Amino acid sequence: MQLQLSRAFSALEEEQVYQIIDEHLAISGDPLLIVNELSTGMEKVGQLFKDDEYALGELIYSGEIFKGAMEKVKPFLKEGDDKPLGKVIMGTVEGDIHDLGKNIVITLLECSGFQVIDLGVDVPASKFVDAVRETGADLVGMSLLLTTAMDSLRQAVKSLNDAGLRSRVKIMIGGAPTSERLKEDVGADFYGRDAVEALAIAKRFFNQ
Amino acid sequence: MKAHERIAATVSLQCPDRVPLAPLLDHWAAPYAGITNAVLMNDSEQRFNAVLKTAQDFRWDMTFLADTANVTLLKAGVPARIKLPGIDLPENSTHQFDEIGAMKDEDFDILEKDGILGLGTVLIPRIYPEMNIEQTLMDVDQAGRQITDQAIKLRAKGIEPAVGFVIPGPSFEYFCFARSVNKALLDIRKHPAKMKSAGKRFCEDILGLAILTSSQNAIQRVFIGLSRSSPVFLTSKHFEEFILPELDFLVNGLIDADITPVFHCDTNWTKFLHYFKRFPKARCILELDSFTDIFKAKEVLGDHMAIMGDVPSTLLAEGSKGEVLDYCKRLIETIGKGGGFILSSGCSIPLNAKVDNVMAMTEATEKWGWY
Repeated sequence: MQLQLSRAFSALEEEQVYQIIDEHLAISGDPLLIVNELSTGMEKVGQLFKDDEYALGELIYSGEIFKGAMEKVKPFLKEGDDKPLGKVIMGTVEGDIHDLGKNIVITLLECSGFQVIDLGVDVPASKFVDAVRETGADLVGMSLLLTTAMDSLRQAVKSLNDAGLRSRVKIMIGGAPTSERLKEDVGADFYGRDAVEALAIAKRFFNQ
Repeated sequence: MKAHERIAATVSLQCPDRVPLAPLLDHWAAPYAGITNAVLMNDSEQRFNAVLKTAQDFRWDMTFLADTANVTLLKAGVPARIKLPGIDLPENSTHQFDEIGAMKDEDFDILEKDGILGLGTVLIPRIYPEMNIEQTLMDVDQAGRQITDQAIKLRAKGIEPAVGFVIPGPSFEYFCFARSVNKALLDIRKHPAKMKSAGKRFCEDILGLAILTSSQNAIQRVFIGLSRSSPVFLTSKHFEEFILPELDFLVNGLIDADITPVFHCDTNWTKFLHYFKRFPKARCILELDSFTDIFKAKEVLGDHMAIMGDVPSTLLAEGSKGEVLDYCKRLIETIGKGGGFILSSGCSIPLNAKVDNVMAMTEATEKWGWY
């Protein structure tokens, strides 16, 4: 089952993925083995994206397959089996309602075992502060598409600084107008050029 | 040379007297002209006055008529719910689209059978319950007449209007708005045949509309939106299967009607640049938004089509005047070498662009742009 499942997943063979899972569960196979294989498959998808063989369409489709697969597996997991690798807050900053990039990052994070608190779009700076306080998340992802939203990004980072939370939380930024230069300028910690880089940042940060 | 001659020479890959200057203008005209963005989007006369003032003050050769900030056209042409400044957003914000996924699976059949008008009859009331297709068509007709008049006024001032019609792109681009990006990307795998047959009808209808409208307003250039069909979203395999056949149809149909296609390429198209070599030489404009490697574009397509771009929006908003001047000089000296280059902003000038930085594009053109 092992290699078959991760291969079928990375090849985006949706029906084959579900069939292998059904067969494995039918013989009382270990559900955690399935989760591990799906994660391996997802890593391979990420690598294919980095190698330019896959595009965002494939990332999004892999997320769909992953969700379908987990729906089958979840009833068989015991409490504690799906303990998250880390907690990440995600949001598109105030004045911007674009969510495509943010949602792809969320899909990859969730598929890789992270718990994501999605604040949605057009998120005011104070909401990032509240969410950090309430959830105790260690990493915050801020997304934007509009050039005009760069000031909101600045404000959101500043609010976390002013609230005295920056010693316990790191900030990663991403989206069309973002760059290493903007990261330095606003005082964020990480810049992810794309969703796969954002996932790599989270993995490094949480030592995974 | 007059502005229109300069543009024509550039498109036909002859050397004009200097590099033409034609930034993409929509929302930025509002703060520059001292009106709110809500007014710019809703009031045709004030929008045109703001466009004219901007194009004249900055001595542009060609300008967009802020078509992408025209509420009537946006509501009729983009099948997603628009959030408007002054209503849903602060009155000086840029409009944004909420892709609510108004188009259902069964609507592919409606599009294939009844065309864009049939689909619009179903979608418009779903997106805007207060609107209907009859009123929408009347509004679009009126907007079309206004654009025709505005093009005449603009030309009387020696400025060329940029495009006479906006094609959202191959049908996949339209479906990304109508279905949502995620769904349209999944449709490629789940409903490929429906996408293709409905897409064929979409292209037939939109091409007909583009040719008709351009003949009415006498602006012989048509914008083709290319954003979600880029290599960022699609693999070569899917691009060749779903996008290229439709692009071939649209581009050749426009050129047969003596219209210049303007490829408005958002995001990074570097990997797909070679595909544009298939289109007729010296008949198209490739317009880049700064995410595509414009220097690579010159290498691949410089002897094949005019290139337009690409002062980054972040540079216009956050950079210094010196940085803008340096970048424009580099563009003029490399992309503009031998002709075939229109200096422009990378996508629309952002609302928060500095006036000095926009003027730097003009100064660079007038200082270094002469051949």
